[in-house]
Amino acid sequence: MGIDDAFDAFQKTVNEDIGKTRLARERRDLFKTALLSEPDVVETFGSGSLSRSTQLKPIHDVDVVIVYDPDEHPEWGNDGPSAQDALEYVRTQVNRLLSQTNGTHANEVRHTLVRNHAVKCFLDDPEDPEAFTVDVMAALRQEDGSLLIPEKLNTRWVPANPEYLIGQVADHQRDWPHFRPLVRVLKQWRLTAPVQGGIKSLVMEVLALNCMPRSGNRSQALKTFFTAAAVRVHEGVWDPAGLCGQIQPDLDHAGLSDAFADAADLAERACVAAAEGDTDNALRLWQKIFGDDFPAPAAPAKPASLITGTPALITPRPIKDAPQG
Amino acid sequence: MLILIPQDAATTFRASGAWGRLSLRISHPDDLAVVGGISEGGGSIISVDPPPPAPRLLAGCDSRPTGYWYQANSELHALWYLLRARRGTSMKLDAFKDAVPSGFKTPGDGGYVAITHAPGVKDAFPESGLPDLVAWHVTRAGFQPIEASAEPETTGIRQLGGHWPVKELQNTRIMLVGAGSIGSATAHALAGYGVGHLTLVDPDRLDWHNLVRHTSARRHIGRHKVTALAEELAALRPDTTVSALALDVIEHADHIRALLADTHLVVCTADGVAPRRVTGHLARRAGLTAVLACVLQDGALGEILRLRPWPQHGCLTCRRRTLAEAGGLDPELALDAGYGTGTRHRPMTAVGSDLHLVAQLAAKTAVATVLQRAGHPDQRLPGEHALLGLRRQPDWAPPFDLGHTAELRWLPATPPRSGCPTCEAP
Ligand SMILES: [Zn+2]
Repeated sequence: MGIDDAFDAFQKTVNEDIGKTRLARERRDLFKTALLSEPDVVETFGSGSLSRSTQLKPIHDVDVVIVYDPDEHPEWGNDGPSAQDALEYVRTQVNRLLSQTNGTHANEVRHTLVRNHAVKCFLDDPEDPEAFTVDVMAALRQEDGSLLIPEKLNTRWVPANPEYLIGQVADHQRDWPHFRPLVRVLKQWRLTAPVQGGIKSLVMEVLALNCMPRSGNRSQALKTFFTAAAVRVHEGVWDPAGLCGQIQPDLDHAGLSDAFADAADLAERACVAAAEGDTDNALRLWQKIFGDDFPAPAAPAKPASLITGTPALITPRPIKDAPQG
Repeated sequence: MLILIPQDAATTFRASGAWGRLSLRISHPDDLAVVGGISEGGGSIISVDPPPPAPRLLAGCDSRPTGYWYQANSELHALWYLLRARRGTSMKLDAFKDAVPSGFKTPGDGGYVAITHAPGVKDAFPESGLPDLVAWHVTRAGFQPIEASAEPETTGIRQLGGHWPVKELQNTRIMLVGAGSIGSATAHALAGYGVGHLTLVDPDRLDWHNLVRHTSARRHIGRHKVTALAEELAALRPDTTVSALALDVIEHADHIRALLADTHLVVCTADGVAPRRVTGHLARRAGLTAVLACVLQDGALGEILRLRPWPQHGCLTCRRRTLAEAGGLDPELALDAGYGTGTRHRPMTAVGSDLHLVAQLAAKTAVATVLQRAGHPDQRLPGEHALLGLRRQPDWAPPFDLGHTAELRWLPATPPRSGCPTCEAP
């Protein structure tokens, strides 16, 4: 198996099944159409990773942003109780339109919960750990094109610009077709990275935007990404729209940097092995990074060797005596 | 004799027909000639002198008709290669005549210089590296090859494209604070790596006593060091644009701070504690890595400090304090003085080339830092603090206890110390 075939095969294990992705999109679109039919709604759009096609499987939740007409809700946008009021309003509206028992538009929503920024709508039994949810967010469009969204806990409205990230991802993808699939691969990788407290998926997505090249093959790109990200993560991972600050302030920066550096080492050796025509070793090295789902041949039987210690995946290369002056 | 064929001349040969006349500017003391004019067939000779700055020869020698050029078959150029290897070998004139399909001129008593253009040579001898433009001495008795060199289409750092990340570095902007002995050599080294934009900051002028260590020549005495350096680099490394600022980093900190918004990395080769501290402070505030280079112990030890603006990495002061507490460093009194109030440095006693060795390592550290951040795993450094033995001395305290001259030791960063005005957020 060649390197490209192996990446293709691995990608299939990372990507969500097309049927499930389609179902998630249909469910999201149901919310978009239902709410857009309301007189006080100006626009609706999908946000979150599904809208950027960088979603990791399984798809449990999708995000929908509902932009309201400020003239219909003059009190919204001011700090104070209007943040919670707006979320309660959305909840009532969703139930009226989509409730399982008496929705006027469809009968899909079994349960709703008001969270800090959004109303979580359960389409399955809320007790089911795999329950599918749609997060509905209320928003007001500001003059500069960004949004104001309610924050219940701090009783205020905060600026956000989810469309900026959607645009950035689409732009990178236009330049380089491997971008979105590899973001999914990196989000998967993060689940196994030895990092205290976990890594938010948005952290990986933003690092990918900052560190992934816009040309070249997947091996070279990942080698570049891991190397650069090991440095960049120390600088903090910030909202690319410049509105929301650090994405995960309590991120274990040093631990993640070390994990990236280890992956960069392996990726560099994999690229060297591939360049020398040793595809099998290259695949084994990629497998060390991405786990057993990455297809690679079994390691060859260890040849008798005078060199003791841990067996090397690649035998050391002798230097050529070809001086350059 | 070596015949130089500058870019415009080479382009003209390649675009012309079967034959023409040739004029050369010849310097007999140098045993050197430059193609100065070319005609198409029997037409008039048109100048192909390169635009300024022109080779030295153009100023000193008149251009005069000296020969002919011909379009030739590829085998003639293979013959040129073979005859060159067998020095002094001549061939009968007929072989040359046969290789030149039209326009051949029979030589007079003194013979003439001929340049041949073989347009098909790359196809006929792929990967041989045979040039498509070569030169000959043609006499009645026979013909012999002459050394010729055509200016390649690509010169400068772009020649290394594919082997070196030229594009990334051409887009890199580095500020260099300090244009003295280490600084001047660092500037040359950074330009040598292909860094596209350098901003040089130093208020000093080149003085007599600097000549023993500085890269600038005596004719620049009295000028600002940054001006002299910028001029020399423009001539030597045209791929690097240089801004020369005769400013003091402490006095003009606000000006420098504004410039850092457009800078990727700062290198500080200034001597004295205060300018180093100010540079490190400004870089950290701007979120930039600073690379500080100096020599210690009267030039016995070279030191490179990489200060990254990261939470776990302490600033210059924090690192110095940590070293001092561990007994490794005897801090100068100035270390604790406020910005701008430190004592002047001791007179420099190191030899120039030792300082230049430190400068090369500083430039390598800076460039590797930029490239690692851009994703080049082959440019990762082993640490944040390098010590280089220049004149090994026994009994230094660790980590300065290098056993040998030219020994290189890399140490990790040390964390910020509490209460540090540079490391703690403003
Ligand atoms: Zn500090």
